[in-house]
Amino acid sequence: MKPEGWLDCRVLVTVGTGGVGKTTIAAVLGLEAARAGKRVLVMTIDPARRLADALGTGPLTHEAREVPRERLTALGAREGGSLAALMLDTKRTFDELVERLASDPAARERIFANPIYRNLSDALAGSREYSATEKLLQVHAEGRYDLIVLDTPPAAHALDFLDAPRRLSGFLDGQFLKLLLHPAAVVGRASLRVFRSGSEFVLRVLERVTGLEFLTSISEFLLAFEELLAGFGERAREVARLLRDPSCGFVLVAGPDLAQARRAEAFWARLQSEGIHLVGLVLNRVHPWPAPGAPPPDDAADAARAERWLADAIAGADRELDAAACARALVGAARAQAALARRDTVVRQQLERALPLEGDAFCAVPLFAEDVHALEGLARIAREIFGRRDHG
Amino acid sequence: MTGTLAALLSRRLLLVTGKGGTGKTSIAAALGVLAASEGVRTVVVELGSSDVLPELLRAQPAEAPAAESREPQPVAGGLFILRLVPERALEEYLELQLHVRMFARAIVGNASFHRFLDAAPGWRELITLGKLWHLASLEERAGGPRWPLIVVDAPATGHGLSLLSVPSVVLDTVRMGPLRRNTDRVHELLTDAARTLVLPVTLPEELPVNETLELRARVRELGVGLGPVIANGVEPELALPDAERALACVAALPRGAPSPLADPGVVVAAARHRLARSKMQREFLGQLARATGDSPREVPWLARGVDGPEGVQSLAEELRGALA
Repeated sequence: MKPEGWLDCRVLVTVGTGGVGKTTIAAVLGLEAARAGKRVLVMTIDPARRLADALGTGPLTHEAREVPRERLTALGAREGGSLAALMLDTKRTFDELVERLASDPAARERIFANPIYRNLSDALAGSREYSATEKLLQVHAEGRYDLIVLDTPPAAHALDFLDAPRRLSGFLDGQFLKLLLHPAAVVGRASLRVFRSGSEFVLRVLERVTGLEFLTSISEFLLAFEELLAGFGERAREVARLLRDPSCGFVLVAGPDLAQARRAEAFWARLQSEGIHLVGLVLNRVHPWPAPGAPPPDDAADAARAERWLADAIAGADRELDAAACARALVGAARAQAALARRDTVVRQQLERALPLEGDAFCAVPLFAEDVHALEGLARIAREIFGRRDHG
Repeated sequence: MTGTLAALLSRRLLLVTGKGGTGKTSIAAALGVLAASEGVRTVVVELGSSDVLPELLRAQPAEAPAAESREPQPVAGGLFILRLVPERALEEYLELQLHVRMFARAIVGNASFHRFLDAAPGWRELITLGKLWHLASLEERAGGPRWPLIVVDAPATGHGLSLLSVPSVVLDTVRMGPLRRNTDRVHELLTDAARTLVLPVTLPEELPVNETLELRARVRELGVGLGPVIANGVEPELALPDAERALACVAALPRGAPSPLADPGVVVAAARHRLARSKMQREFLGQLARATGDSPREVPWLARGVDGPEGVQSLAEELRGALA
């Protein structure tokens, strides 16, 4: 799918490993959709301050903040287009979820007071990922936006966050949890049978090696959460449905990294098996070769010849310059640039082979020397992705 | 061996962390190589699902995967690696406590216990730290530590901070029993700056620098010692004398270069790109230095990349210079 087509999705999810520029690309996609007249929300996990400065939203918070109309107009946005951004906050998302799902104020307070909840909602397996999808669901249900761009938390394995809802809802059943939550009830009802069960044995042993107090506080934590669990499970299924809907597209953001390109095929297989729609790939921070054609192969003799010619030419043109030193530095810079451009080409070819995307779903964004977290920088990236030459 | 390097190698536990994509793993591996070359027996530890150290540090693929091993595996003279998997460490811990291997297996193999573990918060962090403490406290028969230096490729900032904060949470909630005793010991090791330091790795770019400053503040709050910031991927300055004049001169040269490497258009663009990148990187390095009151230790960007033992060796040499 061509990049313009990506913007027809209702939800765009940027995925990729840490440090590849996902947040910036998410902002660029949002900006472009707003220019085209859509009402857009970008949800990020990064406190990207300069990005926020560039967009004029002020510091990003858990509540959506609008980009001022005049900035959008300056970028040539059509009437009706709008762009808002928010920063995902795991703790706040969980708090909101508890507020909504808890049956009464006492239950809510019990959860908020639990030390494990207070300190560890971040460490709860997959909770950052879960809160990202939870917030997505909330905002999507409100229906205030034509397009939501979700910038996912960096995961060592780019798709970890797909597992998060499943993991959180998966532990609801299970005898061990029931034993922890209601040991008396279970033992009372069928003491002999349960006493012999594996889980009872496990519980007894854990009690011995960790001390009863730890198990009690974990139990309290889970108990406090128990009544929310059914709601959790339902939310998890809704998220799963939304992410697999044809109106939801994933954009993979990658850096020019060979190891990562090698893993791309496995990544693709995983997306396929999850029923996810990968609409495109942005290869970010590619080193441009500043001349037509491919960069030349590395050749010491060629470099030496180039250096001699350049030194002579500089000496002939400006006698006050240190021609030899200038030529050495300049040819060195060109040679380094060529090496990087060659490596990036290899990465690109590997990715093209690994991901059966149509050619136009694949775009490369050069590594800019200037700060990209300014409006002009974002506009430049947009021009690279969407191939526009008109505005800026 | 003097300066920062000596100070780092006198520690027992170095936790290398930072924003994703900054090269934590490479730096941790290079630090291990460097320490071993200084005669300090070192184990580099990677956590959980990460499994790249064998590829990074070994010339040949391992005969037996290090994955399931409990003992650090030798890779070179004085250098060992260990992949610390929480589930395995839990099994080992239960065994040590119960003295019967079969029981531990039965527990960890229990399906509903598994589902519970999948979602239960904090235990992975706790058992990971417990295993690190165990490694740090092992003694040789003849006396002295079995692992004088443990370098950990710790999780990226957010999860790395969860790792460090779990002992305090447990100490807040658990007042007695074996878990309390063990957590006390872990906490003591973590907060003893003479033994444990966090080493933040960053890139000279906006988001990594911001995240590093936030990381430092949080680590300090947790009472854990901080080592110097390692700035990875610093692009070398272009040694172009009288740069603006030289570029103007070259831009006006006639065409006809014998190679694209001398083509005025190419060399001017390449040089401008480098100069601008350096300028931007210098700004972020300066910001880091002002905010921390200490110059970051700069490790140059390696064009060939760090994807095997040779790359790690080069990085180790650069790190030696940076930590002098």
